[in-house]
Amino acid sequence: MDFAFTKEQQMFKKEIIRFAKKEIVPRVQEFDLKEAFDFESFRKLGDFGILGLHFPEAYGGSGADVVTTVLAGEALGEAGVDGGLTLAYGAHSFLCADTIYRHATEEQRKKYLPKLISGEWIGCMGLTEPDAGSDVASMKTTAEKKGDKYVLNGSKIFITNGPIADVAVVYAKTDPDQKHAGISAFIVEKGTKGFSAGAPLIKMGVRTSQTSELFFSNCEIPAENLLGQEGEGFNMSLQTVEWDRSALLAPFVGAAKYMLNECADYAKKREQFGRPIGKFQAVKHKLANIRIFAEASRSLAYKIAWCKDQGRPLNHLEAAVAKLFVGDWSMGPANDAMIVFGGYGFCHEYNMERIFRDSRLAPIGGGTSDIQKMIISKLI
Amino acid sequence: MNYDFSEQEFTLFVDIQKKLAALADTRPLDRRESAKTRENIDEVLALLAESPYLKLGIQPVDGYQGQLTLMGAMEVVASVSPSAYLSVEASMRLFGRAVAEWGTDAQKAEWLSPVLDGKRIGALALSETCLNIENDPLTTHGGKEGDSVVINGTKQYVINAPMADCIAVAGVLEDAHALFLIEKEASGLTIDPALETIGYEGTPISGIRLENCRIPMDQVIFPPAKTDMPQALRMWENQILLGASLGLCKTAFESARDHAKTHKSGGKPVIAYQEVGFKLAEMLTLFQTSQLLAYRTAWTAETTPKEAAELILCAKVFCAESAEQVSSEALKILGGAGYIAGNIVERAYRCAKYGQIAGTSTEIARVKIGDAALGYRN
Repeated sequence: MDFAFTKEQQMFKKEIIRFAKKEIVPRVQEFDLKEAFDFESFRKLGDFGILGLHFPEAYGGSGADVVTTVLAGEALGEAGVDGGLTLAYGAHSFLCADTIYRHATEEQRKKYLPKLISGEWIGCMGLTEPDAGSDVASMKTTAEKKGDKYVLNGSKIFITNGPIADVAVVYAKTDPDQKHAGISAFIVEKGTKGFSAGAPLIKMGVRTSQTSELFFSNCEIPAENLLGQEGEGFNMSLQTVEWDRSALLAPFVGAAKYMLNECADYAKKREQFGRPIGKFQAVKHKLANIRIFAEASRSLAYKIAWCKDQGRPLNHLEAAVAKLFVGDWSMGPANDAMIVFGGYGFCHEYNMERIFRDSRLAPIGGGTSDIQKMIISKLI
Repeated sequence: MNYDFSEQEFTLFVDIQKKLAALADTRPLDRRESAKTRENIDEVLALLAESPYLKLGIQPVDGYQGQLTLMGAMEVVASVSPSAYLSVEASMRLFGRAVAEWGTDAQKAEWLSPVLDGKRIGALALSETCLNIENDPLTTHGGKEGDSVVINGTKQYVINAPMADCIAVAGVLEDAHALFLIEKEASGLTIDPALETIGYEGTPISGIRLENCRIPMDQVIFPPAKTDMPQALRMWENQILLGASLGLCKTAFESARDHAKTHKSGGKPVIAYQEVGFKLAEMLTLFQTSQLLAYRTAWTAETTPKEAAELILCAKVFCAESAEQVSSEALKILGGAGYIAGNIVERAYRCAKYGQIAGTSTEIARVKIGDAALGYRN
């Protein structure tokens, strides 16, 4: 066993933290309050190379390994970037662009990836439906082949980047009589007739990410927009799970370090009863809880990443454990951090209430904690 | 980066598990009567001496990664017999490690070699009645008299004291920390009757008293001047407790999982009920997270020891508390079967409490972790 990062990886992480603190973090509170997507910051992520880290250089990426990519996510969280932007990045780079990279034709790769990697275009992924959340196989959206076109009908919900996306990877049933085997994946561009997005949903947290429904009403797309073969869609969606359990968890891991640093700074300055509150054991205990969570959760995400770098098939048990732990156990530290700040922690002026709200997504998004428990209990 | 143990390490773990489990089937290693005789622990030591286990973390062993391999192996030993584990570790990774790291060549030849061969048993006496060496100085002290040192003091909760051949007693000599190596026959050494504890019943634990106990100067170990001896010893204790916590988690989880798959209710195995299946999922999550954290901690202790202090405390708190939670949940899954004395899950539950109290207590550990975050240093 060897848990070391290379010197290059460590330096890269520091660079991202420096970049994010300077270029993105100063705008986070403003955009969270407005519930608006920060296009400028998103483009800056692209300019810095983060959006395309793991993609080949031929498409504008950097060819980084998965561990380095996860390190970037952790660094964004550690710098104080909000959960909305990191979620938008995750949906864009891993759920949309990566699926195109893996399954599209070379022509399609060349068409979409450079724009997605630079941040010129924004991507999203449409899987969840109003009546098909964790139970993906019961999706109702259909794609009927008519000549050299597919005609999509149905709707999707809770789609991160939905209202702002230029391109979507959409899952639909090409064989409604089948369950998982009837699901196929398609590329759908913004502006396609019959394709529209709903108004952004008002959410408790990750507010700078724009989330909406997607509607398909006799939406015709060229047959070549089918990714892979008919019926392969479910397996494609499973491949995104590897990213979901590593790169998308990483910002939550990094956020714990951010909370720890912020709480420590505050506890040293804030005085009550004639001394800094950091001198009280109860406050130290809360800081300790945050640090313990940060240390415990790190290796889980990196193990998934390292295994992916080794080319191993995803270990679904370990992936579910990582998601369950980061999801459920992150709530305690987020609560502790808010309490350290007292009344200020409840106000938007300080970051803790936002992080508390953002953290609440961890046990819900990408497969709820109950679904993870279901997976684990079946696999053991 | 590499998240796998090597095949050689894995083979070692399997080998130890098999042999120790076979021995545990024939010996009451975790019953109170085991603490009254050396016979059982001698057999365990002899068995472990056939493998590199006793030397890990103390001496380099080809093909193994010191503390890291040790942590994986500790988990296995603690899962089979928590009591034997605690005795072995007190002898090896407290007494043995102290002699190995701080002793003279002569002391190593006299005391370390037989301990590493599993032929003698050591103990380390640190805790005193103030119960808090974190803030209070050690009161056990030695005074030089010619070529001898005369020691006075009282120690409590000394693992192995009733059966140890030699006890390393932490104290002060001429304003410096020192370890006094006191043989069991030494005049002035009184070993109190073994304590009855709620867990680890097969481990002999007692207090000791030193009243004008005289030893030659060459039986005194002086740690290097910059070493904070009590802190270092506490860290070593914490590492032992980390291994214990992993072992208890493993036992409790696996036992509960196996029970849930075979015990039927309403015509189906109870694991099919979400109440049980989800509980097992949470238990496994705590167990696997504990493993990774403990392994990373051990790796850090091996490769960059200066960076390990706070990480060991984080891991100690997390793993010790996880062990109690996992064994507590396992008890619920086993129902009445788990409540019967002697069941390995009820044993794990009782032992798990010790992990939160011993070494650096979880409360004090949290204070220290908080201090580190705040930039406060004790």
